[in-house]
Formats: sequence, C-alpha cells, structure tokens
Amino acid sequence: MESTRRDVTKNNKVIICENVSKTFEGKKGSVNRVLDNISFSVRENEFLVLFGPGQCGKTTLLNIIAGLEKPTSGRVIVNNKEVTAPGADKGMVYQTIALFPWLTVMGNVEFGPKVRGVPKKERQEKAKYFIDLVGLNGFEKHYPSQLSGGMRQRVGIARAYCNDPYVMLLDEPFGHLDAQTRYMMEDELQRIWQKEKRTIVFVTNNIEEALYLADRIILLTNCPSTIKKEYIIDLPRPRNYVDKRFLQLRKEITMNMDKSQY
Amino acid sequence: MTKANRSERKKVIRSAIIVFAAFIAVWQIISTLTPLRDFVPSASSVISAFIRSFYIPIGKHTMPHHVAVSLFRVLVAFGIACFTGVILGVLMGYFRIAEAIIKPIFEFIRPIPPLAWIPMSILWFGIGNTSKFFIIFLGCFTFITVNTYVGTKSVDPVLIGAARMLGANERQVFLRVVLPSTVPYIFAGLHIAITAGWSAVVGAELIRSDDGVGWIVNMGMVTGNTVQVMVGMMAIGIVGFVLATAMAALERRLCKWNQQEGM
Amino acid sequence: MENNREVLVEVKNLTKKFGDLLVLDDISFNIKKGEFLCIVGPTGCGKTTFLNSMTKLYDITSGEILIKGEPVDLKRHNVAYIFQEYSTMPWLKVEENVRFGLDIKKVPKKIADERVNEYIKLVGLEAFRDYYPDQLSASMLQRVVIARAFATQPDILLMDEPYGQLDMELRYKLEDELINLWQRTGTTVLFITHNIEEAVYLSERIIVLTNKPTKIKKEIKNDILRPRDIASKEFVELRNLVTDLIKWW
Ligand SMILES: Nc1ncnc2c1ncn2[C@@H]1O[C@H](COP(=O)(O)OP(=O)(O)O)[C@@H](O)[C@H]1O
Ligand SMILES: Nc1ncnc2c1ncn2[C@@H]1O[C@H](COP(=O)(O)OP(=O)(O)O)[C@@H](O)[C@H]1O
Ligand SMILES: [Mg+2]
Ligand SMILES: [Mg+2]
Repeated sequence: MESTRRDVTKNNKVIICENVSKTFEGKKGSVNRVLDNISFSVRENEFLVLFGPGQCGKTTLLNIIAGLEKPTSGRVIVNNKEVTAPGADKGMVYQTIALFPWLTVMGNVEFGPKVRGVPKKERQEKAKYFIDLVGLNGFEKHYPSQLSGGMRQRVGIARAYCNDPYVMLLDEPFGHLDAQTRYMMEDELQRIWQKEKRTIVFVTNNIEEALYLADRIILLTNCPSTIKKEYIIDLPRPRNYVDKRFLQLRKEITMNMDKSQY
Repeated sequence: MTKANRSERKKVIRSAIIVFAAFIAVWQIISTLTPLRDFVPSASSVISAFIRSFYIPIGKHTMPHHVAVSLFRVLVAFGIACFTGVILGVLMGYFRIAEAIIKPIFEFIRPIPPLAWIPMSILWFGIGNTSKFFIIFLGCFTFITVNTYVGTKSVDPVLIGAARMLGANERQVFLRVVLPSTVPYIFAGLHIAITAGWSAVVGAELIRSDDGVGWIVNMGMVTGNTVQVMVGMMAIGIVGFVLATAMAALERRLCKWNQQEGM
Repeated sequence: MENNREVLVEVKNLTKKFGDLLVLDDISFNIKKGEFLCIVGPTGCGKTTFLNSMTKLYDITSGEILIKGEPVDLKRHNVAYIFQEYSTMPWLKVEENVRFGLDIKKVPKKIADERVNEYIKLVGLEAFRDYYPDQLSASMLQRVVIARAFATQPDILLMDEPYGQLDMELRYKLEDELINLWQRTGTTVLFITHNIEEAVYLSERIIVLTNKPTKIKKEIKNDILRPRDIASKEFVELRNLVTDLIKWW
C-alpha cells in the first residue's frame, strides 16, 4: 500500500510562511490579534495538518495562504511567488463545502477550467475523470441539493483537483459530516492523494483526523496564535485509529493542546 | 417521493374546489336569504352575467377583448419593469456609488401609491396607453428592484471567494456567481410584481378609456351597476390567479436547483 | 447489579415503513430502568426514525413500544428528547429555557423553582442564568438543553447524536458531565450515535444496527470500569469489535 510517499531528494519548499501576523480591527478601534509571527514551510507533496483549538485562527491562516486575506505583516510564498490574490494555483476545499447550488455536479467540477478558458471537450473529460475518481460516477447531472453531505464534499474535492492546483488547501472539510462518513472520507482523501500527488495543507481540530492523515502536524496555540509544537508523524499508512502508537500520540498532542477559549 | 407529491397535490386541489364551492354557496345564501341581500348582488346573477359577458358586450366590447386589452397593458408595463427593476437592483446591490445615489431617491418614491401618480401621469403622457403603462409599471417595478437588490446583497461571500480561487475574474464572478445566486430573489420579486401590476390595472384604467377589466369595474361604479362591478372583479381575480400560477410554474422550471434539500 | 433492574421499555417486533421503503424490520429489545443504552448504526438506517416512533411523531407500521407495560402515552410517561440541533428558544433566558419543560408539564411553581436552581447548578451555568442563548457558546447551549431535559426528571431521556457537531475536546467534557448526571440522577438514557468511541465510552450496553432494512446486528454488554480510558486494552478491543460490525465501506 505504502508507496514512495515522500520523495526525499525533492526537498524543495512549495509553501513558505514568513513571520505572518494578522490583526483584525473591530469597531471603535478595538484590535483582535489572531496570528502572531507564524513561520513554517511545506515541502512538495507533503501532507501538512494545521491543528489547534476552535477559533485559534486556523481558517484565517489558510485564507492568508490562499490570498483571500492579507496578512498584517509578514508574507506567504507559494511556488516561488509572493501570494497577493486568490488564484487557480491554489485549490480550496471549504468546511461549508461552498458548491454553486445552481450548477450540476459537472458544472461545479468544470467551473475552474471553464473560467480559465479551457475548451469544452477537454475540460469535461477532465471533470469526468475527477468525478469518477471521487466515486460520483453517474451523478454528473445532479444538483448539490440532491446529494448527501459526504457526496457534496466529494464534489468539493473534485472541483479543487480539476483545476490542477499547485497546492491544495482544505479547511476542516469533514467537520460537518457524521463520524462514520468522516472516517470514510478520510480514507477516500488519502486514496485520492496517493493517486494524484499534491502538496496539501489540511486544517482540523479533530486529533484523530490529524493523526490519521498527516505527514506532519503543526500545533497552534490559542489566540493570538503561535506555533506551539511540530510533530513528524511517521506511522505507516494506512493507519489504525486504535494502534498503540496512534493512541499514545493522540494523548500527547491532546495534552499539549490549549483549552479552547469558547 | 414524486408519487407522494402528486397525491398530495391532488388532495390540495380537491379541497380548494370544495372550499370554492362552499364560498359560492354561502355567497348565494347571504345574497338571497339575509338582510344583506340589498347590498350584495346574488352569486347566480353575477355568474350568469359573467358568462353572458363573453358574447354580449359590456360597453363596446366582450369580455375576451377586455381581458386581452388589460393583459396587454400589464404585460408591456411588467416587461419594462422587469428590465429596469433588475438592472437598478443589481446596480444598487453591487456598486456602492449606485447604491448611495439611487437608494434615497428610490426610498422616497416607493411609498407613493400608483394611484397618486394619475394626475401627473396624464399631464406627462396624456390619456392614451402610455399613461396606463406608467401607472402599472409603478405598481410592480418597486418589488422587482427591492428583491433584486436584497438578492445581490446576500450572495454568500464564500462562494465569491471559491470562484476567485478557481481563477474567475471580476466579470466572471459577477456573471457566474452574483447573478445566478440572485435569480431566486428576482423570481420572488417577479411573483409579487405580476400580481401587484395586475391589480394596478383598475387604477390605470381609471384614466379615460373604453375597455379593459379595470374599466368594467370603474364604469360599473359610475353607473351604480353592482353586478357589473362584481363581474369585473371576478375577471380580475381569475386572471390574477392564472398569472400567479403561471409565474410559479416558470420559476419551478428555471430554478430547478433551488428545490428542497435532500433527495 | 444490572440484572435485577426492572424492565422499563419493551420494543416488540417493531416495523416501520415509509411507503414501500422498509426501514425498521421487526426489531425487538428491552431497556431496563436506570440503564445507559447506546444504539449505533450507519447513516440512514433508521435511528432517528426509531426515536420518532417512540415519541409518536411517526406512526408505527406494526409491532409495539411499551413503557412500564403500557403503550407509550406522552401525557403519562415522561419522555425527554434531545435533538442534534441545539433546540433552545432564542427569546428565553437560560433560566427560562430550563423552566420551559417544567411549565409545559405544569409542575407547581415552588417545585419548578427548586428544580431549575438544582439543574442549572448541576450543569454549572449559575453565572449565566440571565443570558440569552446567542450570548453562549456551543457547549453551554448544549448544557442548557441537557439541564432542561433532566429538570423534568424524565422516565427516559432520548438523545439523538447530541454531540455530533462539537469539537472533540468539548465532546469529551460533555460526555463526562452526562455520565456524572446520569450516575447522580439514575435516569434511564437511550443515546444514539455514529461515533463508536463515544458509544464505548458512555454505554452499559450497545445495540448495533444493520443497514436498511434495519435489524439488530448484535447486542454487546459493556462493563468496562469507569472512569474509562480510551487507550486501555479492553476499550480498544471493544471499539474494534463494534467497528468491525459497522464498517460498511
Ligand atoms: N473577517 C474577520 N473580522 C474580524 N475578526 C475575524 C475575522 N475572521 C476571523 N476573525 C476572528 O479571528 C479569530 C480566529 O478565527 P478563525 O480563523 O475562523 O479560527 P478557527 O478557524 O481556528 O476556528 C476569531 O476570534 C474570529 O472572531
Ligand atoms: N418522513 C419520512 N418520509 C420518508 N422517508 C423517511 C422519513 N424519515 C426518514 N425516512 C427514511 O428513513 C430512513 C432512515 O432515516 P433516519 O431514521 O433519519 O436515519 P438515521 O437517523 O439512522 O440516520 C432514511 O432512508 C430516510 O430517507
Ligand atoms: Mg475555521
Ligand atoms: Mg438521524
């Protein structure tokens, strides 16, 4: 099962966060410092998990990497270019799934190539490939409202992949799914990732999920968020939730995690 | 599920027919057997006059002509209202400057009822069809504008972000995300507007004319012919119902994606 | 000690169809008084349907559900139901929310006052009595709902995936609180979940359901000593056992 997951010779850094800080200014001049001087980098084809308590700023950090938010100070470099705006080189998968409800499964998945001007035949073939890959063969003409939560998020993943992004950013993509569906989707994501290698930054506050998927976990503190600790997870894949080392790591990281403030 | 829906629908239609029949029966009883009979023309007389109006003219024309004339006026005005309302609503919702300029004027004009415009309208447009278009237009255009405006404002910002992340530019975000997600709101506006426009027809046809269902009512009032007034009311009610139903059907066709959650 | 407890709920040959769709297929089991029973099963197998049948929201196709030997009658049997969504009333303060169930059951004011105080204290929300729901966090809301349910001192408390949407950390905390309340009040709890770890952590007995048409796949006794340790050998064994029964992909 285990392939040459990480090519050691290709140790180039695909994403670099340099001293990223973010402060939101509220009404009446109140300030809310969310990210405090965060620096890390992600290697090519690495599966990095950003892990931290609720409201600690994980989404904000991911949005900054995506270019959807600007850092107050510091910068993010993706593929040797400083991130200044959202763009097709970064594929995003949302907790709220965020499919276009007026488009079919096919319409959603081909959206990216379509707005970038890829010819119809080519983009539909590609979309079909990814729809099949996420196991939705036969659902091309369904609208999101006709699908279950797990199926919708499969569309979300296919949509991001179909645009051939350089890196994938996933923000608690399985947070709204029930426990069994979540386990299944974690397996699915891992399968897809092993087939279509990509650099992944995955945000979660679920320690089981983090340990199951990650090459490396970055543990964030409460707001203002800094990096508390990094864990290299070298458990063999596919992993076992009740494996002794797994449970041990789970306990250790849970103990090191800040208590959620809310 | 569709099977269940269909039988459900049949049930609704059946009960609607029963309620309607009961209504006519009560009307007939009130208008013949109670002291109110002096004020209410009987159901039977109104219904027979209504049927008669299809081959014996009221004024110069028969009922189909009156309905067709009124429908023409409403549909023209409604068409113009759709066009201007959607554009104005999108402008207000999407561009800050447009909002700042148009919204106050709009809010000022909005509470003035269409009827109050009749004198000015005659002054500006004369007593021909243009005046009537204008009054009906005023009756429906506000609903379309407001709904479009609210719809444009309430586009999910995450969806806009998602489109940008997939490489969409400003124009594509507008055409492919903002507009489609506004469509259900626009339709809700059209739905209210077609009914409102149709009911403004009575007011519009106060302006001198010799045809239209509104004219039937107005003329009945002037001549004290209560049966004719009610025949006109009946025609307005029936056509209004048909218009609303047709609008709902159109909406179901065009917004297939906006159905209930779940399979 | 469980063996000599009296039977509170009897489910006999329960079958439920929606049109042609057979959801619950001839299911029978008992719940004993004071028991903590967990039901696990795949999505869409009919867990919510079962609770809805029990609380008379749905008609039963055939079979019966008895409480204390009689058909369920919500006027006489005190059944509390906690949904997955936080069903607090946004226009009521915390205290009024907890009192809500008591008012509906027409509990005299004096007793109601005492109960409200007692259960608000039990869930640790004394400082928040006068807050409105939208001023509270998710875990506090869930506590309000739990206090409201326990305050009516129900014969049986039904919980339908109540912690499904919470962070793990909050879930652990609320699970411990729930166990604590259950041990102190002796309430019978029927807890539905997708989460096998949660079921193994909470229950005295687990009923595992199959996919539709749904039958009971297995009943498992769970007498691991409390407080339970999720990394202990017996915990892991039981969790694996249930996982193997339920994994469908
Ligand atoms: N656009 C914004 N304006 C003001 N405050 C924000 C904004 N986005 C996030 N925040 C604040 O930043 C903090 C972290 O939020 P978020 O990144 O969503 O956390 P997480 O994803 O870890 O739960 C929160 O306290 C939130 O209130
Ligand atoms: N009111 C209903 N009408 C028709 N089918 C229903 C209804 N409620 C539930 N179902 C069907 O019954 C099955 C079980 O649903 P449910 O009890 O909600 O499952 P669970 O709670 O175990 O996830 C599903 O296939 C669902 O589609
Ligand atoms: Mg977040
Ligand atoms: Mg359910």
